[in-house]
Amino acid sequence: MRRPSRLTAALAVLALTTLAACSSGSDHSGTTAVTTLDPDKDVTITWWTGQDSEADELLQKLADEYTADHPNVTIDLSPGADTTDDLLQKLQAGFASGDYPDVSYTYGSWASVLGKSGRTLDISDQVAQPDAGWDEFPEAARATATVDGQVIGLPAVVDNLGLIYNTELFDEAGLDYPTDDWTWDDFRAAAKALTDPSKNQFGTAYPTDGGEDTVWRFWPQVWQNGGDVLDDDGMPAFNSQAGVDALEYWRELAVDDQSVYLDQTDQKFEPNFYAGHIGMLISGPWVLYDLKSHKTPYAVAELPGTDGSHQTISGPDLWTLYDHDDSQRAAATFDFINWLTQPAQDVRWNLAYGNLPLRSSAADTPEFAQYGKDYPGADVFFKNLENATTPRPTVVGYTAMSRAVGSAISDVLRGDGDPQDKLDEAADAAKIDLQ
Amino acid sequence: MTATQVRAPDGLGAGESTPARRRRAKPPRSRRTWREQLTGWGFVLPASVIVVGLSVFPAGWAFVISRQKADLISPAENVGWDNYRLILDDPNALEAAKHTLLFTALFVPTSIVAGILLAVALNRPLRFQWFYRTCIFVPFVASAAATGILANFVFDPTYGIADNLLRVLGLPQQGFLEDPNQAMAVLVLICLWGEVGFNVVIYLAALQSIPNDVVEAAVVDGAGPISVFRYVTMPELAPVTVFTAIWQTITALQLFDLVYTTTKGQPGDATVTIVYYLYRQAFELFHAGYGSALAYCVFAVTMVFTGLLVWYARRSGTEAF
Repeated sequence: MRRPSRLTAALAVLALTTLAACSSGSDHSGTTAVTTLDPDKDVTITWWTGQDSEADELLQKLADEYTADHPNVTIDLSPGADTTDDLLQKLQAGFASGDYPDVSYTYGSWASVLGKSGRTLDISDQVAQPDAGWDEFPEAARATATVDGQVIGLPAVVDNLGLIYNTELFDEAGLDYPTDDWTWDDFRAAAKALTDPSKNQFGTAYPTDGGEDTVWRFWPQVWQNGGDVLDDDGMPAFNSQAGVDALEYWRELAVDDQSVYLDQTDQKFEPNFYAGHIGMLISGPWVLYDLKSHKTPYAVAELPGTDGSHQTISGPDLWTLYDHDDSQRAAATFDFINWLTQPAQDVRWNLAYGNLPLRSSAADTPEFAQYGKDYPGADVFFKNLENATTPRPTVVGYTAMSRAVGSAISDVLRGDGDPQDKLDEAADAAKIDLQ
Repeated sequence: MTATQVRAPDGLGAGESTPARRRRAKPPRSRRTWREQLTGWGFVLPASVIVVGLSVFPAGWAFVISRQKADLISPAENVGWDNYRLILDDPNALEAAKHTLLFTALFVPTSIVAGILLAVALNRPLRFQWFYRTCIFVPFVASAAATGILANFVFDPTYGIADNLLRVLGLPQQGFLEDPNQAMAVLVLICLWGEVGFNVVIYLAALQSIPNDVVEAAVVDGAGPISVFRYVTMPELAPVTVFTAIWQTITALQLFDLVYTTTKGQPGDATVTIVYYLYRQAFELFHAGYGSALAYCVFAVTMVFTGLLVWYARRSGTEAF
């Protein structure tokens, strides 16, 4: 056959995973004690980085450095999958066959599911040690790494959403730059003023592919309005007045003002901002690298606020640790990842890539000062971590709920449907998976 | 069975002599040694292992998963036929099935008609014929992912070439992939661009195997070009058409990669096909059991479609397989 059909591929993956799930059978329950590393016993740990080759080279250097100091430890590094997105499928197959890594990069949104697998290490006691510096990680990142009271990994990348604006377009329109006192009304007025259909120029942009990228940028406004994603029982609460107001706000911008570039591919809005077609972008530190290479004239501010609240959201990714019933491996894995996240190493990995430092203690390093100069606005994003006070929910049903909310937001922004009705529908659909 | 006499072939008139007795040399049973059998198995074994290991076995396990509540990470739970029952009550699955059928109904006939027309055009002596043939075939070789990404740029309502062209021609701007009423039709168009080359190649081969003397005989008998096409060419292309219809139906029913790279099911889930829906269920929403059950339904429907086409072809006397 010409192309291996997706259906066959999907069936194959599904089958392989069950095969192992049935055959291996042994119940890992995350009970291996993570002791201290025995320097006389040789140990090999497998590390799936989920990074492209350029980033992998950087990480390989750091791994070599660690193994030079710990000659009994061998680190077997590989990306693990072609893309970071594919890592989850590789992990599923790995769990099934019993051949999974000691540590892998994982998206924060997978944490709850992975935590339920019974294959993750519980490092709660280790991070509780005073010298582990657990409190130096942002609150949202700590919350994401904690599933049902167990800490299953350490933060790998932390970020948050801020307001990035094109200074040149602001100057042309004769507008004042956004300040920390900005409200969403100011944002709307600016978006309107920056929109020019004759030049295909938009005030701002919103991805409407209905995925998590559509959804997570919606939560800060719900929180700012005094609402929440889930209620105390873990059931949908986003269809409250706070949620409806937030969605109505964006409906007015997108449908009434026509000042929003709606991108249903989720691929084009950022490049269009780099190219100067869009005035304001709600995005995170991961675009700083591209903004720099495109030489876009930009500056960064925190999100516009509601009644003085400038809450934002953080979407941390994790180094998740896995259990192999081997305390020496577990100890080596934790020791290495803990070392990797220390400022001395972190500045050469995350900061070199334009990412925010993982630990607040990294702010005192000279590399951080240089990073602020290399990537203008990075300091604003770092400071903005303080505004990420509410963690994104880490319940198992979140992905299914996110899909339902994503459809609701996309429909309303396209002018199809009323915010209250659409959010109610999404809440009903989400209940099934949240139960 | 011993063949003592070979029956006279049909059409031999009475009075013609029966063919001479032929004794068919047949090796005695004893000579078929275990060694030969082993050699035979040795030849087919590698392929068998691959087929069984990569197709039959995974399909079997997928069936096991389809009767479980499974996310492929935490321990699965047997739920019997519940996943299959859920499909019947799932309005989104029904919508996805409708989208797939609509796509199939639009795509398959168009790809066959376009394939025949282009093949007939390219079968004539033309200058730069090789160039046109290459042009038509190249999109087929390009991966669907590349096709999809390219299409995203062409059909972008704000910055795309397609809308620019309409603007130059003074025609109204279109939403294309971002308009729920057009998105499916545009997907058909993109898929045709990618797949029609395959049909053209198949039909070109079929056209070239039509004996010239048959065509000439028809012309001598006074048939015009249209009559030749209708009464000589078309019947000759029938067996191939059964094949292309089955092939393109399977392509259409399993449409996934184009959706994944262009619309991701948007706008408003208007382009969620059944295979995209099952992918979303199994790999995005962690409903692997339900996804597998959907996959089995797609498999069953594909089998029925193919069976019906083969049955129809046999009944109408067109031997394609």
